[in-house]
Amino acid sequence: MENDQLEKLWQSQNLEVAPDGLNAIFSKAKKQRNGQYIAIAVLGVTVLILIVFTLFFAMDQWNDFSLGLVLMIGSLLFRIMLEFFTLYRKKEQLIALSSKDFEFYLQKHYRRRLMINYVITPLCFGIYIYGFLKLLPYFKAEFSSSFYNYILISGVVSLVLIAGLVLRSVLQERRFLNELRGN
Amino acid sequence: MISEEEFTKIYNQLAEKVLRLCLGYASGNIDLAKDWQQETFVKVWNNRKSFKADSSVNTWIYRIAVNVCLSDLRKASRKKSLVDNFQPESEEAPSDTADQIKQLYGCIDKLNRQNKTLILMELEEIPQATIAETVGLKHGTVRTRLNRIRASLLKCMTHGK
Repeated sequence: MENDQLEKLWQSQNLEVAPDGLNAIFSKAKKQRNGQYIAIAVLGVTVLILIVFTLFFAMDQWNDFSLGLVLMIGSLLFRIMLEFFTLYRKKEQLIALSSKDFEFYLQKHYRRRLMINYVITPLCFGIYIYGFLKLLPYFKAEFSSSFYNYILISGVVSLVLIAGLVLRSVLQERRFLNELRGN
Repeated sequence: MISEEEFTKIYNQLAEKVLRLCLGYASGNIDLAKDWQQETFVKVWNNRKSFKADSSVNTWIYRIAVNVCLSDLRKASRKKSLVDNFQPESEEAPSDTADQIKQLYGCIDKLNRQNKTLILMELEEIPQATIAETVGLKHGTVRTRLNRIRASLLKCMTHGK
């Protein structure tokens, strides 16, 4: 094969660009933007409620129930915000960096993600469980035994599911990092 | 900032090139390539305000396209048939061309990510200065590397290794 035939061969792939491609792009772009605004609004409102609850209600009658609730919501919120921040940063870098720098950044990004998954996530998870345990005596005192059992079982099942998701994410991101290092 | 009119013009001018570029990263998987192409232009549109004219719009878009393809590692393993969607422009010996295209994908797949970027852009006849800016290498380095990559591609196409 001759040198100049490579381009000819490559470009002989007659690709059709979808006629409604532009409309699909505008509509997806709008959906993405709206999704971001909704996520920011939900997070903002949750943080606000948590702050208001802590300052005005829980402080007056601070007990294990308030502590448990604040620990659960706080740890979850912190982890979600960290997730948003790392993903936002990655999106920002994708737009700004050359492909060489971006590849370098991706390695750093997945190393940081592993650190988050190995250290910060288990810590948040532990705090979340501790908060949940703090609430249980109150639930036991306030609710019927069947509803208490429901809370207990669904709580444990949720924790197992979350642990499974975290494990899956750790394995997947380790694979991404290895893939990046390997090339 | 890029206006809607300018964006439409850019899309019409670059959509096919970006699609083929993504197709190279997707090892011929047209669905995956279309996803990446769409994601590229969605990012361009959503970030049009952040475009600084310190490089050309084309360079900026190629950069985003390459980074979109590079970053979607979870989809990279979703490879399916290379030539199922392939339709050569001419009727002349279609199966030969299809086989060659398939072989070309196989040879490109053997390259590392950066070399893949360089050759895919070169095959689209994108100027080497733009390639250098997109990848973040010096023009001279790109030229030398491309000579080597071309030689290895030709060897692979001819001898299959």
